Amino acid sequence: MNCRICSKLLQEYLEDSISEELISELNEHLKECRSCEIFFRTYSLTVRLSQRIEPPCCVSSDKIERLTSLLNERLFPK
Amino acid sequence: MSKPAKKLSDTALVSEIKHGDAEAMEEIVRRFSNKVYNLAFHLTRDASAAEEIMQEVFLTVLSKIHTLTNEAYFATWLYRVTTNASYGFLRKEKKYSDQTLIDDTNSEHTAVYDWSTLPDDILLSEESSTVLRRAIDTLPDTMRTVVIMKDVEGLRNEDIAQTLGLTVPAVKSRLHRGRLVLRETLSDYFRKYSDPSGEGE
Repeated sequence: MNCRICSKLLQEYLEDSISEELISELNEHLKECRSCEIFFRTYSLTVRLSQRIEPPCCVSSDKIERLTSLLNERLFPK
Repeated sequence: MSKPAKKLSDTALVSEIKHGDAEAMEEIVRRFSNKVYNLAFHLTRDASAAEEIMQEVFLTVLSKIHTLTNEAYFATWLYRVTTNASYGFLRKEKKYSDQTLIDDTNSEHTAVYDWSTLPDDILLSEESSTVLRRAIDTLPDTMRTVVIMKDVEGLRNEDIAQTLGLTVPAVKSRLHRGRLVLRETLSDYFRKYSDPSGEGE
């Protein structure tokens, strides 16, 4: 495996969509190539940090109530 | 409705709404309002716009729910309406840019500083989270939308593709390029913690 293939496989690896055989090849390459190893680690960590971003807020129950009232009035008029 | 709305699947709720069930509609709003708000907020970066969009989305979705032939696609449809409404807001505000071309030809193996070994209190600090959030905000809109949907909101590639009218490979490509840009930004930010002797390089 070369560096180019390694970086192309990284995304598939994170999606858990490559075969065991390719994973072993990838791991072998990462053991030998410091540059790819760092790329792999920092790319994966970038994804994990993005996944930790907090949602902006929760919509309050008051707002949900107002919204459902509005929807009821508009969609199911008495 | 025989079962309480809270115990019904999304698909069953949508079917009940089509029959005019107000309780099912309220449950759908409860289940999806945060998701709609968060996606709209991430895309517009504007809290009051996100609230307006949330209202507009539910009005649109529920008034057109009879046109949804397969109830199983409700969530995807909801995200599509939310994305379109958010883009509509950005266009109106002239904040939307469809530029997707970022030169990433050199970005894959540059910046070899290994910041992944930094301690958690640095990696997970409020400051680094702010840096990352700002970097996401400055991605071109089409790339940002995919990164937010996938990495922040946790949607599947297939659902993102359907929501945005893209192919799955196109979603993956935008996601990868977006992640490369974010990785570069984080590398630049974390470099200040590198060993001044250069051993960390």
